[in-house]
Amino acid sequence: MTHKVIKVKDNDVVGSANDFLSHLLSSGKIQALLVPQNTPSKKVAFPVLISDPKKLHADIVAPILPVSTAAIVSKMTKVQPPSKPLGVVMRSCQIRALIELVKLNQASLMNIVIIGVDCPGTFPINTYTEFPEKKTPTQFLLEVWTKKSDEAEKYFRSACQVCKDPVPTNADIVLGFYGADIEKEIFVEAHSEVGKNILQELSLEDEKEGKNREKAVKEIRNEKNKKRTVFLKEKEGIKGIDKVSEFFDKCVNCHNCRQACPICYCKECLFDSSVFDAEAYKFLRRAEIKGLFKMPNDALLFQLGRMNHMILSCVECGLCEQACPNTIPLMEVFIPAAENAQKEFDYHPGKDTSEKIPMIVYREDEFLEVGEK
Amino acid sequence: MVLVTINSKEYEAAPDETVLEVCKKNNIFIPTLCHHPSITPYSSCRLCIVEVTQKGWTKLTASCSLPVKEGMIIATNSPHVQNGRKILMELYLARCPTSEQIKELANKLEVQKTRFKTYTDPDNKCILCGLCVRVCNEVMKVKALGFAHRGAKREIAVPFQEFSHVCMTCGACAFVCPTQCINLSKLSPNKPVPLTSDFDAGMAQRGAIYTQFPQAIPNVPVIDKKACMYALNGTCKSCENFCEKDALKHGQEDKEIKVDVGSVIISPGFDTYEPPKGDSYGYRIFPNVLTSIEFERMISSSGPYKGHLARISDGQPPKKIAWLQCVGSRDESCDRQYCSSVCCMYATKEAIIAKEHLPGVDTHIYFMDMRSFGKDFEKYYDRAKDEYEVVYRRCRIPQVEQDRKTKHLSIRYVDDDGALKKESYDMVVLSVGLQPCKDLAEMSKILEVNLNRYGFIETDPFFQVKTSRKGIYASGTVTEPKDIPESVTQASAAAGEAAKDIAALRGTEIIQKVYPDEKNVSNENPRIGVFVCHCGINISGVVDVKKIVAVAQTLPFVVYADDSLYTCSQDSNEKIKEKIKELGLNRIVIASCTPRTHEPLFQDTLREAGLNPHLFEMANIRDQNSWVHKNNPLSATEKAIDAVRMAVAKASDLSPIHHAKIPVVNRALVIGGGISGMQAALSIADQGYETTLVEKESDLGGHLKEIYLGAQGEKPQVLLKQTIEQIMSHPHIQVFTNTVVDHISGYVGNFTTTLLVKKEMSPATIQHGVIIVATGGLPYEPTEYQYNKSKDVLTQTAFEKDLFEEKSYLKNLKEVAMIQCVGSRNEDHPYCSRVCCSEALKNALRFKELNPDATVYVLYRDIRTYGFREDLLYQKARKNGILFIRFEDDHEPEVTLTDGKIMVKTRDTLLRRELHLHPDKLVLSTGIIPQDNTELAQQLKVPLNEDAFYAEAHVKLRPIDFSADGIFLCGLAHSPRFIEESILQAKATGARAATILSKEYLETKGNVARVISRNCVGCQLCVEICPYDAITFDEEKKVVIVNEILCQGCGACCVVCPSGVSQQNTFTKRQIVSMIDAYLE
Repeated sequence: MTHKVIKVKDNDVVGSANDFLSHLLSSGKIQALLVPQNTPSKKVAFPVLISDPKKLHADIVAPILPVSTAAIVSKMTKVQPPSKPLGVVMRSCQIRALIELVKLNQASLMNIVIIGVDCPGTFPINTYTEFPEKKTPTQFLLEVWTKKSDEAEKYFRSACQVCKDPVPTNADIVLGFYGADIEKEIFVEAHSEVGKNILQELSLEDEKEGKNREKAVKEIRNEKNKKRTVFLKEKEGIKGIDKVSEFFDKCVNCHNCRQACPICYCKECLFDSSVFDAEAYKFLRRAEIKGLFKMPNDALLFQLGRMNHMILSCVECGLCEQACPNTIPLMEVFIPAAENAQKEFDYHPGKDTSEKIPMIVYREDEFLEVGEK
Repeated sequence: MVLVTINSKEYEAAPDETVLEVCKKNNIFIPTLCHHPSITPYSSCRLCIVEVTQKGWTKLTASCSLPVKEGMIIATNSPHVQNGRKILMELYLARCPTSEQIKELANKLEVQKTRFKTYTDPDNKCILCGLCVRVCNEVMKVKALGFAHRGAKREIAVPFQEFSHVCMTCGACAFVCPTQCINLSKLSPNKPVPLTSDFDAGMAQRGAIYTQFPQAIPNVPVIDKKACMYALNGTCKSCENFCEKDALKHGQEDKEIKVDVGSVIISPGFDTYEPPKGDSYGYRIFPNVLTSIEFERMISSSGPYKGHLARISDGQPPKKIAWLQCVGSRDESCDRQYCSSVCCMYATKEAIIAKEHLPGVDTHIYFMDMRSFGKDFEKYYDRAKDEYEVVYRRCRIPQVEQDRKTKHLSIRYVDDDGALKKESYDMVVLSVGLQPCKDLAEMSKILEVNLNRYGFIETDPFFQVKTSRKGIYASGTVTEPKDIPESVTQASAAAGEAAKDIAALRGTEIIQKVYPDEKNVSNENPRIGVFVCHCGINISGVVDVKKIVAVAQTLPFVVYADDSLYTCSQDSNEKIKEKIKELGLNRIVIASCTPRTHEPLFQDTLREAGLNPHLFEMANIRDQNSWVHKNNPLSATEKAIDAVRMAVAKASDLSPIHHAKIPVVNRALVIGGGISGMQAALSIADQGYETTLVEKESDLGGHLKEIYLGAQGEKPQVLLKQTIEQIMSHPHIQVFTNTVVDHISGYVGNFTTTLLVKKEMSPATIQHGVIIVATGGLPYEPTEYQYNKSKDVLTQTAFEKDLFEEKSYLKNLKEVAMIQCVGSRNEDHPYCSRVCCSEALKNALRFKELNPDATVYVLYRDIRTYGFREDLLYQKARKNGILFIRFEDDHEPEVTLTDGKIMVKTRDTLLRRELHLHPDKLVLSTGIIPQDNTELAQQLKVPLNEDAFYAEAHVKLRPIDFSADGIFLCGLAHSPRFIEESILQAKATGARAATILSKEYLETKGNVARVISRNCVGCQLCVEICPYDAITFDEEKKVVIVNEILCQGCGACCVVCPSGVSQQNTFTKRQIVSMIDAYLE
C-alpha cells in the first residue's frame, strides 16, 4: 500500500482535491473521470463524466447521493468495458454495490479505476437543495468535521446514520479524511497495483503519521457499528404479517424504490410483467370469499418479492428509501432483513468478487434446523 | 337399488346389503365385536345396535343382521343408541376386566368403568361372541370348537375337553377372536408353526397372502399355497370377502410358458451361508448371535425392529457388538475355499450404522485380512477406524460362548502381543459369506451350462459373462461373489453381449401405439374434470373422499368431479376417456398418489382421448397426505381439499406442450486404445453402430502389452493379438492412432469432436452421439526400496516378463522377496491398487514352478485375493511353501544395499521380532496411478475423484455412467482393476451406449425450462446453478440458452432468476401464482 498526502491549500479541501484529480486526468493515466460535480444551477451534485481537466469543478465532499454510481458504472461497462482506464469516484456503499453487480455479470471492472472517498454521510436530495443553514452543504460538513461535532448528524439520511462501513474497501485509490487534519492535508492511498502505478507518477508527499489514520478509521467504524446495533435492536419489532402490512400501508406500488436500487438489475421486473395479471373472475372470487379485497393487490407482494430477490446483496445504501414518494422508512425493514439474511449464509455483499452469491452455492450445513439434522 | 336415510343423509344401497355393510361402506362408524365379513351375522354382541324407524315404528336393533329396506330411516349415534352401547360396554368390562381390546373399545365409546360386579374368573377374556365357533364351522368346515355348559358356566371348548383330532391348527379361531383369548395349545396337539418372512430373515411373521418385500416387482401379494387353507383343503376363501376388486384368483395354476429367444442371461443371485445349528458359534442356540443378514434387517427402519437395535434375548439395546468375519468364506472345513469379497465392507458398514443408531455402542470386527479393495473402499475403512472408532482385531474366532443367565456372549482372541484374551459382548454378528443359490445346480443342468468347482456358473476367464454354452450369458453373483458395482457392471455387459447376438432383429417386434390426433383446445375455455381416488382404503381410510368431490364440483371451470376406488385401474381410465368425450373435458385433475409412479399412465389416457398429455395435473393426497396424517383425518381432508383446489387452479392455466425431437448421431467415440477401449469399441460396433477409436500412441494395446501371464494359464498376449485383429478388420470401426482429442462440443446424441493427428496438419472432425472414456492408468514408478540403484530390485512387471521368457538366471536364484503395497495405501496414494496381491502370487507361483527349491517371501499388510483368487492363488501359494510375512502400516520394511547385496529388514507381526532377509532379487509390487486426467475431464465437463481417477455418476447404481448424459467410463481410468474386470466394464459401456445409439432421436421432457430471451439480462446465475450443464451463455447475444435435451426439469434456474425469464413449462410463474391464490382463498 502506498501512503501519500494531498496538501490542502488555502483551507480549500474541495479545490485541493480537484487539483489532484485534474492532475490525474491530465497525466493521461486515466482517459476520463466519473465524479460528483454540481450542476450549473449549483443546486445538486450529480455524477459527471469528465474528460477535459479544465471542465473539472468536482465536489467530492458534497453530501449527496442522487443516483447509484454503481448502476452508472454498470450501464457504462456492461455492453463493453472501456479500452483505457476510467476513474470513478465512489462512496463505500456504491463500491459494494458495484462488486455485487460484477458478480451478477452486470458490470465489469476492466479498466475501471475505483477512487474511493471517505464518506461521513449524505443528505436527502431535498435537504441538500434547500439547505436550511447559511452555508453550502459542503462547507457546513467540512466545518462540522473540523470541529468534530455531530451537528450534521440530524441532516444525514437514515441509511448513512447507521452506515455499515463509511471507509472504502476494494478501491484502487482511497481519498481519506478520517484521521487527517483537513485544514492541512488529506490522505491518498493506493490499495492495488493499478492504484500504486498511478500514484507513483504523481508527485505527492509521503504520509507521515500513518497511525492517526488507522486509529480514526477504527473509531468511526466502531461508532457506526454501535449505532447500527442500536438501530437493529430498535427495529426488531417489525415482524409478522400484520406489522409488515402496516409498515407498507402507504405503498402505492410505484416501483420507484426498485428503480433507485443499484442491485435491482432485471431488464423487466417480474412485478411489471403480466404474471400477476388475472381474469376478473379471480379478483371477484377473492372479494366474494372475504367480502372485500384491497387494491392494488400486489403492492405488498412486490415489496416482499423485491426484498426476497435482492436482500442477500443489499449494501444498505438507502437509495430505495430516498426514492419513496410517500417517505416509507424502508431502511427500518431492509437493514434488519439484510443483516439476518446475510448472517444466515455467512455472506458479505461487496466484500469480494470471488465470494459467490448464496443462491448458487450449495452447502451441506446450511439451514440444519429445517428438517432432519 | 334401495334408498335409505342414515343420520339424515340419503344413501343408495344394494337390496341384499345389511345396514352395517352400508354404513361401513360409507365410513359411518358402528362398533362391533362379533362381526366378521366372512361369517354369517349372529347378532350376539349387540354393540352394532342402531335406531331404525320403519312404518312409523322406532326401535333399537342389531344392524349386522338387518337387511336394508326402501325408505328405512336409521340413526347410528342417537342418545338412545349411545346409552344402549354404553350399558353393553359396561357389561363387557365386568365380564373381561383385563382385556385390553375391551378396555380400548370402552374408551372409544366413552365408558371409563363398570357399575357391575365381575361374576366370572377375573382373568377371563372370552365374551362368548362365538366368532371362533362360527369360523371353525362355517369357514374352515371343521367343527372342532363349540360351546359347552350353560348360563354362567358357558364356555368355548373342544369336545370332551380333550385335544381335538379334527383341528387343523390353522389358527383361524385365534385370528378372528376379538379379544385374542384363544390358546391353540389347549385345542390341538399340534404345535402351530408361524409363517415367517424370508425377506426379514425369519425375524417377522407374515400371512398366507403376503407381499414378498416392499419393493417387489410386480408389487402384488402372492398366495402361499403351502399355507393357504383353500389350497390345502378347499376351505376358508375368506380373503375374497375383503378384496373389493375381486382380484383374487385361487384357481390359478403354475403355467409353462414357451418363449422364443435369441439369447439368455442367467442372473438368479446368491444365497448366504447358513451356519449349521449347533456349531461352535451357537447360531440359532444363543439368541444374541445373529447373521449379518438378520442384523441388516434389524437396523433397517422398515424392518421387523423398525431400525431399533436390540438384543433378541431381552430387547435391551446392546452396548458392545462383535462381528466375526469369514463365516462360510475362506474355510475349507465347510467347503468354501473362496473369499466372498463383500463381507469386510458390509461388516464395516454395519458397524458404522450401529454407531449411528446407538451412539456410544462399541463395535469390534474380528478379521483375517481387510479386503477393502474397491474404489474408495480404503477411505471408508479408514473413516470407520478413525472417525467412527470401529475397532478391528486381526484374529479368526473359533468359538462363541454364552452366559446362561445374562445371555452375554464371550469370545477368546489373540491380541497383537500374542496374549490370549477374553471379551464379552451383548451381541455377536456372523459375517456370513455368499454361496451359489439353492437351485443353481438344477438350473445349470436345464440350461446345459457348466458350473465351476465352487458351484458357481463357469465363465470364460477373460469374458466373464460368457458361459460354456454359446448364447447364454451370466451376470452378478451367480458367477463369483461380488459387490453391487461389479454386479451392475456385469449385468450391463451381459445385456450388451445378449443384444449383440440378436442385433440384426432390433426393433422388429415393437408394435407402435397409434394415438388419435390431438384436439386443439386453445380457443376453448377450460373444462376441467376432477377424479378423486380412494386407492382402496389407502386414501379413503383417512381422507373424506366424498367431501373432496363435493368441493371440487364448486370450483371454477370444473365440469365434472367424481371418485373411484382405484383411479389407475383400467375401467377407471376408460371412464376418464368416456367423460372427456362425453363432456368435452379439456383439462384433467387427478387427486391420488404420486406423479412419480402414475403420471405417465394418466397422461397416456389423455393422449388416447385426443388431449395433449400436459393438460393434466395431479394432486398428491396419498403419499403426502393420508399416509402421513393417519391420526388426523379431519385436517387431512382439509389439506386434500386445498391440494385439489390448487391443482384445479393450476389446471385452468395449463396449455399444451409439444416435445421436440432431436436426431441422434449413431456413432460412438472411444477415447483410448487399450484393452478397455478396444473391447468397448468392439461391443458397440458388433451391435451395428459406427465407432471411432482414438489412441494417442502409435499402436493399440496399452498396458496389456506388458502382461504375459494369467493366473490360471490364460494368455494375455493372445487376447491382445486377437483383439487388435478384430478391431483392424471390423467394418464398423475406424481407428486413429497417434491421435489426441483436441476439442469436444455438443451434448448427448450430438457431439462434435476435433481430433489432432500427430504429424498431420489438418485436424479431423467427427460427429458422434456418445463418448466412451477408456484412457487407462499408469504404473507407479517406485522411488523407494533402492529401486533404480540395484539391478536386483525390480517391479513385478519386469519380473513377469523374465518369467515369461524363462530367463536363465531364475533357476539360479536361492531367495526372492516381494514387497506389497509399493505406491498404494500410503499418504500419496491412499487407495488400494487391487491387483498387486494377486499379481505377486501369480508370479511367485510361476517362479516356484521354474525353481521349486528357491525360497519366496511375500511381505504384505493384507492379502487381498478376493473371490476365487483366494483359493487359486493364496491357498495354493501357501501350500506350495511360499512364505508370508506381515508388516504393520507404520513398520514398512527397510531395504539396504551393502556391496550390491540386498538386505531387507522387516518386523514380523506374528513372530513379533525383526527379520533380516538377504534375497537375490527383490520384487516390488507396484500400484496403479491415474493418468493426468484434468484436461480431458474439463473438456468433457465430468468430475474426478480425490485420487484423480474419473468419478462415476453413482458408485453403486450407475458405476460406468458419468452424470453427464451420453458419456461412459471403463478400465483403469475408472479405478485399478484386473484385465477381465476392465473388459466387463468395457462391454458394459457398449450396452449403455446402445441405449442412446439405438434411438433415432432423443425427445425433450415436458417440464423443461424455457428462457424468454428478450428479458434476459445475462446475469448467468442459472448457468452456474444448473446441475446438468444444460444452460449456456450466448456471448454474442448476451442471453442464456437452454439445451432442452440436457434439461431435466429440476427448476433450479427458475428459482434463481429474479425476473422470471427462466420458467418451467409445467410450472410457469402464472400457474404457481394461481395455485397460491387458490390456496389463500
